Formats: sequence, structure tokens, C-alpha cells
Amino acid sequence: MSTAAPSPLATLRATARGYAPRILQGRGWVLAALVILPVGISILIYMVAQIKGAEGRPHPGEVIKVFHEVLVKMMLPIMALVAAPAGIREDLEQRTLPLLLVRPAPAWALPLGKGLPWFAWGAVWLVIGTLGLQIIGGDPALLPGRMIALVSAWWGELALMTLIGLLFKRGTIWGALYFFIWEPLVRIFPPFLQRLTFTHHIESLAGSRAAEIQANQMLAQEQVTTHPVLALLALLAFGALCWALAGWKLQRTPVGLAGSEAEG
Amino acid sequence: MIALERASLRYGPILGLSPTSFELPDGGGITGLLGPNGAGKSSLLQLLSGLLPPSGGEVRVFGQAPFRNATVLSRLGLVPEGDRLPTGLRADRWLRMMGELSGLHGDGLKTAVTRSLETVGMADRAHLTFARMSKGMRQRIRLAQALLHEPQLLILDEPFNGLDPEARLTLMALLRDFAANGTRILVSSHILGEIAQLTDRILLLFRGRLLAEGTVTEIRQLLDRHPVELRLTGEAQVLARWAVEQPELAALRMEDGGVVLSVRSPRDFLPRLQKAVVEGRLPIHSLDPLDLNLDAVFQYLTKDHA
Repeated sequence: MSTAAPSPLATLRATARGYAPRILQGRGWVLAALVILPVGISILIYMVAQIKGAEGRPHPGEVIKVFHEVLVKMMLPIMALVAAPAGIREDLEQRTLPLLLVRPAPAWALPLGKGLPWFAWGAVWLVIGTLGLQIIGGDPALLPGRMIALVSAWWGELALMTLIGLLFKRGTIWGALYFFIWEPLVRIFPPFLQRLTFTHHIESLAGSRAAEIQANQMLAQEQVTTHPVLALLALLAFGALCWALAGWKLQRTPVGLAGSEAEG
Repeated sequence: MIALERASLRYGPILGLSPTSFELPDGGGITGLLGPNGAGKSSLLQLLSGLLPPSGGEVRVFGQAPFRNATVLSRLGLVPEGDRLPTGLRADRWLRMMGELSGLHGDGLKTAVTRSLETVGMADRAHLTFARMSKGMRQRIRLAQALLHEPQLLILDEPFNGLDPEARLTLMALLRDFAANGTRILVSSHILGEIAQLTDRILLLFRGRLLAEGTVTEIRQLLDRHPVELRLTGEAQVLARWAVEQPELAALRMEDGGVVLSVRSPRDFLPRLQKAVVEGRLPIHSLDPLDLNLDAVFQYLTKDHA
């Protein structure tokens, strides 16, 4: 029997559905915990305070701190560092990638197909976490912006880490360097470089936190602004570009049974 | 069906396969790829299954270069070496995905998954995750994934490794059935006996070079041309006196308490040796073949081709 090669859409659907059960295993719950724990602890502290009668009212400043300092700067990058190795990189390391590559399906669609369940799973928890922040006094007007900012940044960061995982053997280290060295370091460089950070685009979408922070916490010496729509487009386009490059890399790279590349 | 024209494969500075040329015709049949570990069997299979492009020369499968070629890959099935399967997935769902990635859908997909599982005898255990399966069960699932789209060319890399004798016989019977029904099968192994039980045609590889190609009988004759060393312990002079009368003797070395014989055509020589021992004409204490393993045989052939 000779079958016709599946379309890219059919490949995406098959891969996403086939690997979807993985998100309900250990790594998937770690991903959920990364969002729920900080938000949950904040809610717990708020409720305890409420029971004791002190500061029982909502605290918008606390929400901004949890959102920007914990979720955006710490948890979101860690989520990408945790989830991306379970994508196509996992097949490369476990040497199961050849089983996929000997199929007539387009190889370039595989990284996105394997990444989609993780994106969807992470996005659900990010939305739940953002909604949870409302309990401790999140501004309802900022809620849609915060959700969109986190989900679109998650799209971009997961895609970036997937690409890095295919480009480098120690992708997690390079990713960590980017998230935890470059993003904070950028404020000592010329201001326009802020646009090369996720933080800038998230803040453009989720609303400024300028009123809540000290001068030494400013991202750069000079405030650079980007229209929220442009910031959203930048994050989505960057994510799409990274998925495309990851697909291109897999399509053109010979991957043998040992997981290594031949000279070809 | 398969044509290699001076195809070679390098892994950086390491030569995995020297320029190699051969052809396999259309139609069913089993071809064995024989060679010791590191001979280049997996390299050759990776070239043919389109995982790696050749570093030099040309590889044609169904008339086309197989690397990332959907037309070729839709007619080909691969069972790679080892028992690696994705973690945390159920076999039936994974097979369903592999079927979809092979272009199957709807009822055709459902039928293909059921048929493949039945063929490998895993229909009742396909709901298990890979982690809960034995090595033999995983090997069957790996075969099932290669059979989903009923490939015209089935490539198996060391498929008998880790299988118990019963599972080996079952797999051999399965492969013979497929071959009889028109599937061309290429199966690699480093065990001559294993291949000899299964196939009508052998490709002999050693250190990245194709040394010989032919039927099992032809290869055996080729191997028989080369002397094999045997150590006989006992009274050295008596043993030597008997040995020099044998037409297969190529060389003789005396040792303390025995002799080392170098004999051609051991399949003719050994029965005569056995008879002499049984009749009491040859008082030997022990017989040790020094170089009857496959590596030694390949060494001889390499010298021939040097």
C-alpha cells in the first residue's frame, strides 16, 4: 500500500494529539505549579491577613509585584526552560526522532506539533494564574492585557527555547543565560535594545508598573514605549519565526539513529 | 528498488561507510546485512531509510534519493536498533499517531493499527504504556509501527537483539511471510547463523566496506577458502602425524602438549577429525577453535581485499 504524504495541518494535528497525554504527567504539573504556587501563596497570605483583620482590603501593589517580578521575570522563563526540553528536543535526546523522521510527514511541522500541547497547557495555567491575581486586588481594566501579555510571551518564549534546543546541545543553559542575564542586563545598554526583550513587550501589553517601582528597578535609563498592538504582534511574530526556524533546522539537518548529525 | 553508486557516509572525521555500490531488485525477498559491530550496517540502513544523506555518491530507493523524500518514505518502513520508544505514551495511541504521520486516516487508519497489532501479537496489550512493557513487547510495537502503511521495503536494524528464542522464531516466520507476499526486506545482524536461517541473499560489511555480496552458499564458500585455526591438546607428535595426512591442512605449529592446525574447509575437515577421535586413532584432550568467530572471518576477508 502506498499512502499519500499527510498535509502540514494533518501532521500538526496528529503530533499534537499524539503527544498531548504527556502534559498530564509530571512535567506538566510542574509547569502548572510554577504559575499556581506564587499566585496561590499570594492569595493565602492575603486571606490570612484578611482573617487577622490587618490589611484586609485588596492590594494592587502586591498584584503588580507578583505579576511583574515573579510571573513575568521568573516563572515564565522557567516554564519555557521546563517545557521546551519535552518538545522535539526530547525525541532527539531519547533517540526516538528517527521514528518520526522516516514518516512521509513534513519534518518541519514536527517541532510546532510537539510544542502545541505544551503551549496550550501553559496558556491555560497562565490565564488561571492571572485570574487568581484578581482575588488579591488586580485591576479589572488591566486583566485582558495581562492575560494576553503572558500568553503571547509564553508563545514566544516556548518557541525560542525549542529553537535553541535544536541549535545547541546545552540549550537550557543558553536559554537561561538569555532570560536571566540578557533581559536584566539590557538596561545598561542603549534604550532601543529594550525592544529585544520579552519584558518590554509584556509591559507594553500589561500596562506600566512605573508608579510602583523605584528608580533603580527601571528597565532602562530612558523609557521606551511600544504600542500594545505592536507589542502583541512582535511577540506573536517572534514566536512564529522561532517555530519556523526550528522546523527549518529539523527539515535540513540529517539526524541519524545515534541522534547525532552526519556530515551529509 | 535499491541502488547505491559509490555512496559513502562520514560522521565528521570518521568514515562510517566507504564508497559502496550495489543494487537490489524489485519484488519480495530477504536480504541480510552481515557484519561485526562497527562494520557500517547502521550507516547503510540510515542512508537507505532517508535519515542521512550520503556524504558522497548516490543513493536511490524506488528510483529517488530518500533523504526527506515523502514519496520514498511512504513506501518504506524502518525498525531501528534498540528498544527506544517515547516515554509516557500508550502503544495504541502512539501507533495511531504514527499511522496519521504515514498519511493514513479514518477507517483505513483504524484498520491499519488493528491489523499491525494483530500481526505482531500485541492486540490485547496495546493499551499499556511503553514503560510497562517488556523489551520483547516493545520490539513488537516497533515492528508494528513499521508495518502500518504496508511498506514495499522493510528495513530492520538488528531486530533480534534482546529477543528470547521463541520471539526470534516468531519474528523470523513473520518476516518470511512478508517476503513471500512481495515485501523486500533488508535485515541487519552481526550473527551469521541468525541471518543464514532467514535470508536468501547476504551483503557482507566490514569496517565500512562492502566485502562480499551473494547467496548464503556463496558467502559460505568464500569463507571456507580461508584457513581456520584449531588448537588440539594431547600427544603432539601423534596429532601432528595424523594432521599432515589431511588435505585441508594449510599450516601446523607444535606447542607444549598439543598442536595448532590451520585448516581450510573446516566443514570437510571437522567430520573427519570427529571420526578419527571416535575410532580412537586420535587421542585428543581438547579442541579449541581459535578464530571461528565472525570477526576473525572478516579479518581474513579484509586481508583478501587489501
